[in-house]
This record gives sequence, C-alpha cells and structure tokens, in this order.
Amino acid sequence: MSDPATGENVAGERPEPEPEGVTDETTVQGDDVELERTIGLVGGLAIGIGTMIGAGIFVFPGLAAEEAGLAATLSFGIGGVIALLVALPTSELATAMPRSGGGYYFISRSMGTSYGAIVGLGLWLGLVFASAFYLVGLGHYIVAVLAEVGVVLTGLPVGPHVILGLVFGAGLTALSVGGTENTAKLQNGIVVILLAVLTGFLTYGVLDAAGVFGRQSVPQEFFSQGQLPVLSTAALVFTSYLGFAQVATVAGEIKQPSRNLPLAMVGSVIVVTLFYVVTIFVATSSFGADRLGTFGETAMVEVARDLLGLPGAVMILIAGLLATFSSANASILSASRSVYALSRDALLPRWASKINLKYGTPHIALGMAGGPILVLVATDQVEILAEVASFLHLVMYALICVALLVLRRRDPPWYDPSFRIPGYPAVPVLGALASAGLIAFMNPASIVIGIAVMGGSYLWYRYYATDVKLKGDV
Amino acid sequence: MTERPSVLVPIRVLEGESIPDGVPKLLADAHVVLLGYHVIPEQTAPGQARMQFEERATARMDELEALFEEAGATVGRRLVFTHQAQKTINRLSHEEDCLAVLIPDTVAEMDDVLVAVRGTVGIDRLTRIVDGVFAGTDATVTLYHVAREGESEADAQTLLDGLADRLTDNGFDDDRIQTRIEREQDPVDAIIDATVDFDALVMGESDPTLSTFVFGLPADQVAEQFLGPVFVVQRERPESDEEQAE
Repeated sequence: MSDPATGENVAGERPEPEPEGVTDETTVQGDDVELERTIGLVGGLAIGIGTMIGAGIFVFPGLAAEEAGLAATLSFGIGGVIALLVALPTSELATAMPRSGGGYYFISRSMGTSYGAIVGLGLWLGLVFASAFYLVGLGHYIVAVLAEVGVVLTGLPVGPHVILGLVFGAGLTALSVGGTENTAKLQNGIVVILLAVLTGFLTYGVLDAAGVFGRQSVPQEFFSQGQLPVLSTAALVFTSYLGFAQVATVAGEIKQPSRNLPLAMVGSVIVVTLFYVVTIFVATSSFGADRLGTFGETAMVEVARDLLGLPGAVMILIAGLLATFSSANASILSASRSVYALSRDALLPRWASKINLKYGTPHIALGMAGGPILVLVATDQVEILAEVASFLHLVMYALICVALLVLRRRDPPWYDPSFRIPGYPAVPVLGALASAGLIAFMNPASIVIGIAVMGGSYLWYRYYATDVKLKGDV
Repeated sequence: MTERPSVLVPIRVLEGESIPDGVPKLLADAHVVLLGYHVIPEQTAPGQARMQFEERATARMDELEALFEEAGATVGRRLVFTHQAQKTINRLSHEEDCLAVLIPDTVAEMDDVLVAVRGTVGIDRLTRIVDGVFAGTDATVTLYHVAREGESEADAQTLLDGLADRLTDNGFDDDRIQTRIEREQDPVDAIIDATVDFDALVMGESDPTLSTFVFGLPADQVAEQFLGPVFVVQRERPESDEEQAE
C-alpha cells in the first residue's frame, strides 16, 4: 500500500508497517523477514467447512423447522445464496490483500480506521458469540450421549448442557494455550469423517423420502408457518454460514493465495449449502416439521434413529460431537487471530497479542476469546447468541461488499486482485443489500445487543486509537 | 578452485541453537546460506511471532553471519517464521539453489569424510559438493556404496571409480580418495555403522517413499545417530515445482 499506516494510539503504539510483498509461499516483511505460508487448499476448505457444518446440521434443523416448517429448506437456501454473494467479493479482496485479519483488514484499508475498528472489534466479539453458541450446542450433544447410555444429570442449578459447555470452553482455551499437537491435521480429519458420515446418511434419507424403501413420508404444506418466518429463520440460521470469512482471517498463511483463497471460500460455501438444504429436507420429510421442532437442538439424532435405528442415532451423536467441537475450536482460534490483527494495527494494546515463551502461543489473545465465551455460554441463550454472531458478521459482510465497490471505483494502483468476480457490480450490490436486509428479520433483542457492540467498538476507537490512520491510498 | 557450492545451514535461531565448533571452518570454501528459522505452533500467526522476536532474531543472525565470514565463507541469509520447518528448509534450498543442506554438529579434526553414494542419479551434484567443500582441505574422502541385491562387485566399483575420476578431473588430490563397498540388508543401518570412524558425512536426500513417512527421512535417521556434521545433497528439482501434497 503506497500510503503506509500512521499515527499512534493512547499507549503510544504505532501500527506495524505493511509487508513489502507477497509471494505464493511467503509474506515478506520489513528487512527481509519471511513469514511462511503453510495452509494449503485442503486446510483452507477444512477451516471453512469445519467451522460451518457444526451449526447448520447438528443444531439448527429442529429450531428452524419449528419456526418455518418445511420452508426452512428455503431459509437455508437463502442463507447460502447470501453467503455466496459475499464470499465472491471477499475472495477478490483476499487475493488483492492476502493478510491476516480478513474482512477487518480489507475494510480498514479501503474505508478507514473507524469502519475498520467497528468491524474488527465486531469480528472478534462476533466470533466469541459464535463460539459460545457452538459450545452450548456441544453441551446438548454430550447430554444426549449421556442420556443414551442411561446417565441423566439432575439436581444442577443450571442445565447440564451449560455446565458441559463451560467445561469444554475452558478446556479448549487451555488446550489452545498449552497444546503443541498438530490440531490442523486433526481438524482436516474431522471434516473428512463428517462429510463421509453425512453423505452416507443423507443419501439414505433422500432415498427414503422418495419412497424407495416403501415408507410413506409425512405429507405437508411447504409454507406451514406462513412466508415471513422463512426470512426470520434465514436470519437465525445464518450463523451456519460464517465460516468462509474465517478462511480470510488466516489469509496471510494460505499458500498460493490467489488460487487457494477463492477456491476455499467459495467452495466451502457451496459444499455446506448443499449439505444443509438436503439435511433439512430429509429431516422434515421423515418426521414432519412440527414434530421435528419439538426435539430442539439434537433433533438430528431422532431423525437418524427413525431412519436407521440405534446405530444411526449413535453415528449422528458422534458426528454432532465432532462437528460442534471443531466449530468451537476453529472459532476460538479465529477470534485470537482477530485480536492479533487489531493489536498489530494499534487498535488494541500490543500486549494483547504477546506470545508466551513456554508454549509459543498467544495466551492473552486466546484468553480474550475464551473468557467472554464462558460468560456467554452461561447465559444459555442459543438463539440470541447465534443471531448476535450473525448480526456482527453481516455488518462486516455488507461493508466488505461496499469496500469492493469503493476499490473498483477508485482503482488505486496497489489494488491488483488476481481473482476478479463475475457479475460486477450486481454481485457486491446485492450482497450488501441482502446482508443488511437480513438483519431486519432478527429478534429485537439481538439487534439491540449487536448495535450496542458496534457502538462500544466505535467509542473504544475514539478513545484509544483516534489518531491511527490505516486507510490506504484510495 | 571451482565455484563455491551453496550449502544451506538451517538454525533454530531463537532456541539457543548455535553453530557447533568447527562448522564455520568446514564451510570456509562454500557459499553459506544461513537460514535462521523459528517454528511456531498453529495457534500463533507467523506475523505475531515476528512482531515480538524479529529484533532478537536479527541480532543473533548478525553474530552467526560474522562467524562464517570470519572463517572465509561467503554468506547469504534468510530469516523465516514458520509453522513447518521442513517446508521452509525445502523451499529455501530450492530457491537458493543449494547443493546440500547441512545438519550441523561439532567437528574437531576434519580428517576423514564418508561419502555415501546411492547410484548415478545426482552424482554430478555430489561431485560438486565434495569437490567444493573438501578440495581445499587435508581430509581424506571415502566413497562408500552399499550394494543392492543382484548388484555385482564390479558394477559397484565402476560407480565409485566414476565418481573418483570426476573428482580427480576437477583437480582433487588422488591420494585423498578411497573407495569402499559393503553388502548389507539395510543401507541406512550400514551407513550408520560405517560412520563410526569418520568426522563428517555426505549423503543423498532420498525420494520420499512410504517408509520415510514411517521412519523419517534416512538422512535424519542417520544424523540422529552420527555425532558429526551431515551434508544432505539435495535432489535436482524440476523448474516448476508443483504444489506438494499435504
């Protein structure tokens, strides 16, 4: 960027200088220091799919069916289309600026520090809300597993799933700080197992719904709850589509970014959309939306039990555990990366991204993810957590689309993406409108919390880093 | 003297790993590509580590660079923060066109060098490294081959003599070249056994095969057992290196 970041924050810290250049394998920084890129296409897809698939398949079907009936299928489809409309512009921006921080980075460089601060702090907290949501989901799955083996936890002051969510939230944070195991390999493996299990299960489910096995599927009306709930449900389940942006948060570590970033982001959105739509279709066909709604967060287990008996239920229970676990893990790591990106740019104190010498991990940034997550898990408000996470991401998505429009229009010399989206300017315009529009269909409580987080972020920027200039020469 | 062979010397620059005694002298006639690297866990962004450690790492690199320059080598340097050390080492050895990667270890007297010869493939690079590094010293080089099943003594001798001829053609002192042929089941074990009498080892990088995933690269296995510096001669890489599988 020809106009380097300048200014200093309240603590007298300056943004780190921009890198000198980007190659397929490295980011070159300052005096010939190289930052190796080590995440390939498979790794990128695993981050995207691994973050997303947990929620859409294993937590939402019951909740969505309750609200929108069979038309929940359409809600997931709408979510997928919006995600794709945003994933394309995000891909273009990421190939022009393959640096850590993703959407926050694009927006701060093209639209200035104030937008950047709102989005950046919003991204960190959005991921915190999302992780809390996944952990509550994980808690429900563990309770269901325990119930399956005959253990029922009673006499607790709060729901057992909350306690379990808290335990796992604390455990995951501790593991991220102290663990030296190769978690990326594990994440890739989990995603492959999940996709294999789901493909098998859904294929059977679709054949069954089509009457191949001679069973009658439940006849039902598509818009059993009316048409408006389709959109409010789309807003609710949009949390299932947040993962592709997490690929952009580690854009600085992706090999051959100009090829792998678009493929990983767009690819993971398409894959999960297909899985979601088919899952909801199978789930609602087997039970009917009304009954499905009564099963809550672990409704998929009952669907599997109905289709395949006990082995099916066990299979989906295990898959659900893995999926919610991997979603929560990926989100905690992304939240920590966001804190790093903000601290690098002097929007958060430099010490926030400090690395401890014992494990080489950013314990403070991870704690700034894990701490608030535990507080949120304790609230046990699944739908609010999901919607606030979506709200904060949707604000970022809308601004990503605006950032693309700004950069394409001004066309500064440093803006040289290797991937240019088709359908300009319709795609970013629609992406921005749809992202902003979806917010309107959320719970008022979620909207209020989301706006409060944005307001707080802006005030923090005015207090802490009002002199920091991050905007590139646009 | 022939052109200086490029040798990559990877050092974990922030973990107190230093250049063992004797290594700068060993590489006096080489072009040293000093790779200072720092491995960070996946939870940490490489840029995050750079923010905190660049200054310390650069100061350390200055010291190490001076060590090699004082001994007479020419030095190029790279500082890399990475999640995967092996990927970084492979990339730099390719980018800097290095003939060999040195796995450094202490060497007191450089009298006897073992050169393990696998076959004719890559023998040109092997020649250049042996000639470039050892021609100007007093060390005796022993060309060593572990014959495979069905390989005759004569074939093996021809292989080693061919290499010896290349060396003497370049002006390498004939008296300082010896040859030795061995028959044993496992070449890696044979090399490890043979190294007992030697001060340094030159060997080839093997193609990654199934067994290397289980036991690690032969060079690493040998280096673990052998208490001296090991030159791992790098394969010639195709110009357009396709992305390696994960």
